[in-house]
Amino acid sequence: MSRFHGFRIGRALGLALLAHGLLGPPASAQTSARDIIDRVDRLMRGDSSRGTMQMEIHTEHWSRTLSMEVWSLGTEFSLVRVTEPAREAGTATLKADQEVWNYLPRVDRTIKVPASLMMGSWMGSHFTNDDLVKESRIVDDYDFEIAYEGPRDGIGVYEFILIPKPEAPVVWGRIEEQVRIDDLMPVWVRYFDEDGELVRTLTFSDFQQMGGRLVPATMLVTPSDKPEEFTRVRYADLEFDIEIEQEFFSLRNLRGRR
Amino acid sequence: MAHDAVWWRVAWRNLWRNRGRTLVTASGLAFGYLAAVVMVGLMDGMNAMLIENGTRLMVSQIQIHSEVYLPERNMHRTIGGYGGTDVDALLARVDLSPDVVASSPRLFGGGLVSSGSQTQAALLLGIDPDREARVSMLLDDVEGRSPSAGAFEIAVGTEMARQMGLSLGDEIVVVAPAADGSLGNDLFTLVGLVRTGTPTLDANYAFLPIADLQYLMAMDPGRIHEVAVTVTRPWDTEAIMSALTASLNGDAGLVLDVRTWAELRPELAESVALMDSMYLLIVIIIFGMAVFGVANTMILGTFERQKEFAVVRALGTTASGVGRTVVYEGFILGALALAAGALITAPLMVWWHNAPPNLANIVGSFSWAGSVWQPVLRVEYSVKAPLMSGLALFITAVFAAVYPAWKATRIPPADALADR
Repeated sequence: MSRFHGFRIGRALGLALLAHGLLGPPASAQTSARDIIDRVDRLMRGDSSRGTMQMEIHTEHWSRTLSMEVWSLGTEFSLVRVTEPAREAGTATLKADQEVWNYLPRVDRTIKVPASLMMGSWMGSHFTNDDLVKESRIVDDYDFEIAYEGPRDGIGVYEFILIPKPEAPVVWGRIEEQVRIDDLMPVWVRYFDEDGELVRTLTFSDFQQMGGRLVPATMLVTPSDKPEEFTRVRYADLEFDIEIEQEFFSLRNLRGRR
Repeated sequence: MAHDAVWWRVAWRNLWRNRGRTLVTASGLAFGYLAAVVMVGLMDGMNAMLIENGTRLMVSQIQIHSEVYLPERNMHRTIGGYGGTDVDALLARVDLSPDVVASSPRLFGGGLVSSGSQTQAALLLGIDPDREARVSMLLDDVEGRSPSAGAFEIAVGTEMARQMGLSLGDEIVVVAPAADGSLGNDLFTLVGLVRTGTPTLDANYAFLPIADLQYLMAMDPGRIHEVAVTVTRPWDTEAIMSALTASLNGDAGLVLDVRTWAELRPELAESVALMDSMYLLIVIIIFGMAVFGVANTMILGTFERQKEFAVVRALGTTASGVGRTVVYEGFILGALALAAGALITAPLMVWWHNAPPNLANIVGSFSWAGSVWQPVLRVEYSVKAPLMSGLALFITAVFAAVYPAWKATRIPPADALADR
């Protein structure tokens, strides 16, 4: 269960769900790292969103592809429902505040993921349940600094180092993130454990307009200890600032109306 | 040699000239023998108990896995690979070994157990309840009954049931990552509450029939992780393990990793090795004390016979002849003591082995080192202890005679006869 220990999906899904506003000037060098990250998050995230995505998971022992529909409201609420394959259709995950719930259509039950399994794999992917909930706290849990600012492969980028605050309840020892200066698109995020070892890498690509915003439509997670394994999330469509109420993110709705 | 026989006869007769002293000395040695054999037997008994208590709850004495299963315990690494194996045939081959008492297949999984609003992480153990009952004590104390296959029944630890507020008959959702990457989930009925006495087991384990867990985890019926084996001689698993390794591997294209409890529970093996190392110490202490007693007697005996030795020396006997008689006395004394010791030790050992005092009334059973203990003081037979003690007794008797014998050879006949 703990094979995917320590991965986090939230930031990834969050970023992928994001929308990138066309507004806002590029941050200047004088701006603090924290302000930039904050702006990246804010600019790129609509108040709400809905999209469909494919999640392709490759492991040493099996490979599978899931189609999903995703809704989000702010950073606190999201709901993911599997639509394909048919055998698993209806399986859903609700993230509300710091809690994660799963709906299992086969037994028609909703189950809250207990604290002891927050580090477990989410839907068999290289993300953990913990990834879902910790995402909204990243600005609170880490100290930021700009490690590099300038061209990389001909593109101007910021490189940030995120160090967890001493009392923050996080699993990472350090996070590094590269963001393009021009459009504030994330390029990659690297997660290190407390010993400074790279644990996994999140790579963003396929930047395109979706729902009126520039987004990275593809996101790839590769665990360092198993380089042949990966989880790839690809967005088919995305819309932003949709009409959606908080009530949508309820256990009743988690069960869905199939 | 004929000449030598005379000295043996002389030695024998000398021994019985002071019957009382000889009997007391021989008794001392015989009881030393008794003490050594029984002490070692008791320690063997404690070792056997240590091994049994440390293994019978769950570990068992020998475990068989796919050669790639340990140490990660990856759920995909089943015996025979993804395709699994013919479990019944494998078990039959294991049971064929004369040293195997029983064997049991096991499948491990991890997941969630949920009922109502309560959800907990659980270790899922797929078992064959009938076979498991013969191998381990896991299902010895079940309130309700063991789950039966094909009916989606489950048993959970008592502590887990308490924490989740479960009672028999409750409907339980079990969720587990399946072998194909999907999230296996099914409804089960709670039919048993398992009490092992070990808190971690009682709080974390759920028990399912192996077939139901295979179904839940999208695995073929031929896929298991482990065969647990109990054997006739738990303290001698090394040889049994080698035999099993040889007989199982190669057959049906399987590559199996057969391990003994000593590898699976190294800390237990260390305790046993520590106890083993004390055998020699016990024997040395007991006979180390005896050697002075015997030597004392022999010195007295030779001192008394100073004049006698002087006479035989004066008559032309060699010094070595005189010395030999004394050493032969030690030999004969040792043989007598050994016979007597064996005679009193054997019945005591048989009785103690078959009717060991159970101290449960005094101290109760207790949980220690991850296993439940019954305070039964049983002695175990061994070949080593009587042989080692017998040898030690003999060495003691002869060694104790060496100094007096040497003294006897140094007696100057003229001086001794003249009382100088």
